[in-house]
Amino acid sequence: MGDNGSSQPLIELQNVNRFFRQGRTRVQVLQNINLAVAENEILCLVGESGCGKTTTGRIMVGLLEPSSGEVRYRGRPVNTLRGKDRAEYRRALQIIHQDPFASLNPAHTVGQILAFPLQRHRMAEGRGGVRRRIWELLTLVDLTPPGDIVNKYPHQLSGGQRQRVSVARALTVNPRLIVADEAVSMVDVSIRISLLKMLHRLRDEYGIAIVFITHDLALAKYFAWEGRIAVMYLGRIVELGPTPDIISRPAHPYTRALISAIPEADPQITRSKQRMVLRSEDIPSLLEIPPGCAFHPRCPFFVEGVCDTQLPTLEKVPDGSQYAACTPLTRGQELRLYGS
Amino acid sequence: MDLQSLASPTGLLIGALCGLVPLVIALRNRTPRPGILGFLACLLSGFACNVLGGLPMILLTVAVVVSYTYTDRDDPFLSRAALEEVDFEETFGAMVTRRLAGLGRTIRAASRALVRNKAGFLGFLGLVFFFVLNIFGPMVIPYDGQPHFYDRRREGAINLFQGPSAEFPLGLDWQGRDILSHIVHGGRALIITSVQAGVITTVIAVILGAVAALIGGLLDQILNAIANFILTIPQFPLLVVLAGLISFEDRFFLAVLLGLLDWPTLMRAVRAQVLSLRERDYVEAAYALDLGLPHIVMREVLPQMISYIVINMIFSIRGAMYAIVGLVFLGMVPFTEPDWGVMIFMGRSQGALFSAEAASMLLSPVIAVALFQLSLVLFTRSLEEVFNPRLRAGL
Ligand SMILES: Nc1ncnc2c1ncn2[C@@H]1O[C@H](COP(=O)(O)OP(=O)(O)O)[C@@H](O)[C@H]1O
Ligand SMILES: [Mg+2]
Repeated sequence: MGDNGSSQPLIELQNVNRFFRQGRTRVQVLQNINLAVAENEILCLVGESGCGKTTTGRIMVGLLEPSSGEVRYRGRPVNTLRGKDRAEYRRALQIIHQDPFASLNPAHTVGQILAFPLQRHRMAEGRGGVRRRIWELLTLVDLTPPGDIVNKYPHQLSGGQRQRVSVARALTVNPRLIVADEAVSMVDVSIRISLLKMLHRLRDEYGIAIVFITHDLALAKYFAWEGRIAVMYLGRIVELGPTPDIISRPAHPYTRALISAIPEADPQITRSKQRMVLRSEDIPSLLEIPPGCAFHPRCPFFVEGVCDTQLPTLEKVPDGSQYAACTPLTRGQELRLYGS
Repeated sequence: MDLQSLASPTGLLIGALCGLVPLVIALRNRTPRPGILGFLACLLSGFACNVLGGLPMILLTVAVVVSYTYTDRDDPFLSRAALEEVDFEETFGAMVTRRLAGLGRTIRAASRALVRNKAGFLGFLGLVFFFVLNIFGPMVIPYDGQPHFYDRRREGAINLFQGPSAEFPLGLDWQGRDILSHIVHGGRALIITSVQAGVITTVIAVILGAVAALIGGLLDQILNAIANFILTIPQFPLLVVLAGLISFEDRFFLAVLLGLLDWPTLMRAVRAQVLSLRERDYVEAAYALDLGLPHIVMREVLPQMISYIVINMIFSIRGAMYAIVGLVFLGMVPFTEPDWGVMIFMGRSQGALFSAEAASMLLSPVIAVALFQLSLVLFTRSLEEVFNPRLRAGL
């Protein structure tokens, strides 16, 4: 999506759709996702729970195939990659899961968990090399002294420590992109910041791109200030652009609603801040996605005859740097409260 | 495997030689107690199973002995030294010692877990009892196939049954033979065939179940269809029919047949478990790390199921034993004496049901089978704790 058009994106989703079968019905989880991640970029996927963030992340790292559409790795469709190229592509993309208690195999020690990929892909020379690399990785993710951790089983570690081990495990194969799927949402608030700082540091030092998935726009604002945010709603991207612009001048009504709900550190501001009132609080089910713009039954700026009939496309906002999927807005009309 | 030849004086010698290894290492480490235990363990298992018992036991006991004195400080990696001070290259010997110590710690934790669960430990003792009975019993109580008391045969009696006496603690059977010696010698073939059947069942079920779940598609459907087909066959009647057609002169074929009929239930359970484990985040991570299907099956999925698999194997052994005894009881399998099943068959057909004198001939093998089964079932209670690192730690 535009901002560095000349260089090849690391990974690119083009018109990706994904549905799951539940018995006889088809649940359309992702619709027409277009997203590109550049080397060393930070991209935040934000949206309410169930809107398809994890599914997008899994398609991105190749754990899930799109039902239609294409995934490209450095410009090449991933389903045409074979042999060495395919192995390189698999390893270049890693994922950190949300639940620290499910992401490590309880039967193995930390040392074994890290040694498996190192040995399998010959990422280190000999036994000594593997041990040295394990030491380095544990130090890298701030699990020091490494000797205290290496022989522990996952059940002997805290949630934060486990997430660090997950990160170290992803780093064993020198990835180019890490998808962090709500990676800090299940650890104590007190250690979230240090985990986020660690991810930032890995990005700066190793040039890794990070796709940070969260339902918390405040966290996205903090983490992706130098990057971009993609806001998702019911399986579609509704707004995409540089973080500062989206936070300070949100375009799409849904993004505006999310931002107006962020509590500010200063209670004074929080109280005086105007919360946007939606026409309905109910999130529609994926089984009956509203026609036209999926947000229209809730949207305060609903325009009858436009929003409920025309499928909005992601287009450049007239007076902003971001893209939004809102028909009246991208046509240059002024948004007016419905019924006024 | 012919266990008749085991438990020999050579075995005792082999066991003693093997036992010297942990003993010497322990004495050099100044930890005599585990050393002596290790010596005895090697002696016993060498005595019981010759080289097959002695050599593996060296590994286990040495691991335990080493784990007593090995401290984490012996490994530079585990010390709190700085990166520059750590030498990551370790000698082969140092690595072996480190791994042995790890193994030893696991064995110690597992045996503590085993003792902690009372019911499970009781079952374990029961199994040890049957092991000793079958391996060492024959050395003390030789097989006695000779009729006794011909001369004292009662007028008009058609058999030589006799109740327990000081000379024959379990009495005499219909031919006037010592029942105790039949119990001591008659379990081995039955137990071995049952275990073989259980192992065959488990191996087939685990491989097919894992393959069906992880590869899926058409293969999954075919395997499921076969499993469902076998499940609809009434097993025991089929066994009886087959036993009429095939001669089970070699009991191993019987074990294979039992395994071939028994795998579907366990296979479907394994398949369901693998399907659910496959969804786990750590398995997904292994896919993302491109660790390969063999690694995912052997290292990520199966370790989670090991206690489940072993417990089910034990239940398969149990089922196989019932089936074999049943077949023998119906006279569908060629008799080889001494055998618990044959004793039950003969006891019944020679009228032991109707005479108090003869009760021992029926009761002894029935109780032996029942006790063995009970030990197996009780033993499974411990396994969950023995195999699970979290439970093993006693948390
Ligand atoms: N394997 C699957 N089978 C069926 N439905 C799924 C599967 N994975 C996700 N879904 C459905 O897709 C929707 C989006 O899920 P997800 O991508 O996890 O959302 P998020 O991460 O944004 O909370 C949910 O309604 C979920 O039930
Ligand atoms: Mg999610």
